[in-house]
Amino acid sequence: MTQGRLILSETGRIVMAAIFALAVTLVIIFFASKTPWATFETFVTSPLSSKRTIGIWIDDSVKLALAGLAFSLVFQARQFALGVQGQVYIGGLFATLVAFSPLGTTWIALPAGILAAMIGGAVIGFIPGYAKSKLGANEIVSSLMLNYIAYDVCNYVLRVYLASLESGLTTSASFPPQSIYPAFIPRTRVDFGIVVALATTLVVWFLLYRTAWGLKLRLTGHNARFAAYSGIRSSFIMVSAMTAAGAIGGLLGAVFVQGTAYGKLSIGFEAGMAFEGILITIVARNRPLAIPFVALGYGYLRQGAALMNYRADVPAEVIGIVQGIVILLVASSFTVPGKAMLARLMGNRTAASRATS
Amino acid sequence: MNEIIATILSATFVAAVIRTTTPILFASLGGLLSDLVGSLNVALEGIMLIGALTAVIVSAHAPWYIGVLAGLAAGGLLGAVMALFHLRFKADIILVGFAINIIAAGGTVTVLTYATGGDKGTSINIPSKAVPALDLSFLGNIPAIGPFLREVLSGHSYLTWLAAFMVYAIWYFLYRTPEGLRFRAVGEYPPAAEAAGIAPNRLRTYGLIASGCLAGLGGAQLAMFSFVGFTRDMTAGRGFIALGAVLLGRRHPIGTMIAAVLFGFFEALSIALPGILKWMPGELIHTIPFVVTVLALMLSSRRKVTA
Repeated sequence: MTQGRLILSETGRIVMAAIFALAVTLVIIFFASKTPWATFETFVTSPLSSKRTIGIWIDDSVKLALAGLAFSLVFQARQFALGVQGQVYIGGLFATLVAFSPLGTTWIALPAGILAAMIGGAVIGFIPGYAKSKLGANEIVSSLMLNYIAYDVCNYVLRVYLASLESGLTTSASFPPQSIYPAFIPRTRVDFGIVVALATTLVVWFLLYRTAWGLKLRLTGHNARFAAYSGIRSSFIMVSAMTAAGAIGGLLGAVFVQGTAYGKLSIGFEAGMAFEGILITIVARNRPLAIPFVALGYGYLRQGAALMNYRADVPAEVIGIVQGIVILLVASSFTVPGKAMLARLMGNRTAASRATS
Repeated sequence: MNEIIATILSATFVAAVIRTTTPILFASLGGLLSDLVGSLNVALEGIMLIGALTAVIVSAHAPWYIGVLAGLAAGGLLGAVMALFHLRFKADIILVGFAINIIAAGGTVTVLTYATGGDKGTSINIPSKAVPALDLSFLGNIPAIGPFLREVLSGHSYLTWLAAFMVYAIWYFLYRTPEGLRFRAVGEYPPAAEAAGIAPNRLRTYGLIASGCLAGLGGAQLAMFSFVGFTRDMTAGRGFIALGAVLLGRRHPIGTMIAAVLFGFFEALSIALPGILKWMPGELIHTIPFVVTVLALMLSSRRKVTA
């Protein structure tokens, strides 16, 4: 397949996924809302209703893209490490510690905070990888357990060392201004996070498609046995992929706390967003360059659902149902029935049976 | 330290362990059945959550056992959906499982909002019922150990006894019936099973449905005993811990039970500790079951690693 055809077919897939998402949402709204059409209109149009909501949409998309990139690295290697949430909390915590250290008021505050967050996240990513390669511990369970542990540790440090009566017991004080991203458009959440997300996208793409490490990683993911026969040390690839993904998860934590949306550490600041990276990377078929677009599209729906919660009678949590159903549909290669039908119309029996099998 | 040991050895603590183990045991037995036929069920967490909410809502309008059955049925249905997407539509089982978890997290809150008329946190205004406790206080009449037995065994949910029976039933099924042999064969080496005329996908479907039913029961127990009602994310990782118990239990019902009791023990400990170790921060006590699960997996896993 040429580059152009590939882009076209992938775009088609993403558009199909979006149509699925809208259709599923419409069905749910019809069940749930007393005024379904008005609610659906709110869902579809409200993210564009003001400068502020557009800003939130962009900011959410930045975070979703980073979460998707973190998952894409491990999924490309067919490792189901699901520890992005924990990495976000530890990354956010480390970035916070840097912000409140003497460094926090200097020009080096942002890079130092990001670096600390990435190291913290990388450690959290490394643990399940190492445990799997050296001890045979299943990475799914150990990474999920680390999510809970990281969440509790972050809350502990926040409650005991960072929160105060003035700041409110569930948040830290605001970061010094040098530790908060500059806003590109005043009084919106459109800030330096965009640069971070785009740069990370390019770096991940480069690592996966332009380095020997990336080739080995993708080979391991496609066919672990073939990779092993050709002399690739799959355990090294496994651990390094999980560690690198952990660094991105940590980076996302820094983007959360250093961004203009927060500019401080709060309990549960991630609000379940890390797991939404699974949807992003599945729809983008783990291709880094597609991830920002998918994130923008899904971020829009997500923002629509949140506003629907305030302006109509359907709770924002319906987005979870939409999300899950879209993952189910996309993961089960939803083009297959259409292909089979097309083949049957063309009178090609064997192709039809192959497509359905 | 002595205080902790005294607590652990007390009859009330043993009874607490039995209570905390029950939901995990149900879910991990379910996980065992699907793992045996080759599909790791990562959706235990979400299925428990949906089972719990279904049981709560149905039990508000029906007797408690109908509520429990509804939780079981909801779980079985989800297992069937997983089988459909995984076996028929060839989606990866881990992704299918996680999609179910995501649907459960959002879907239960959505349904709860409508069921309570706007409350997104708890089902406090739904008059849901509890599973009755089985009264075995006559055990106290046995000389010497009687009072201890009564403290430990009396007053547990009917479902606790069902869970214990299920360990035996699943063992009997797997090791004493022809269908159980086929079940194990599919998990060990699918091509051999296929050559012997066993359709792996049929058994995988049964495995996933059974696993959903058991996880649904676990959810029902969680929401209908000791704490009655549903709260947002009330499973709080128990389904994932149960998955850990499956991996730890060496694909055997007894092993799975031992692992489930181990995790139940640490959960009970994390509930009891704040009263004893007042200096220890609650957040860190709360991590105990998760830390233990990771450590147990690291120290015990001897499975061959494939990338």
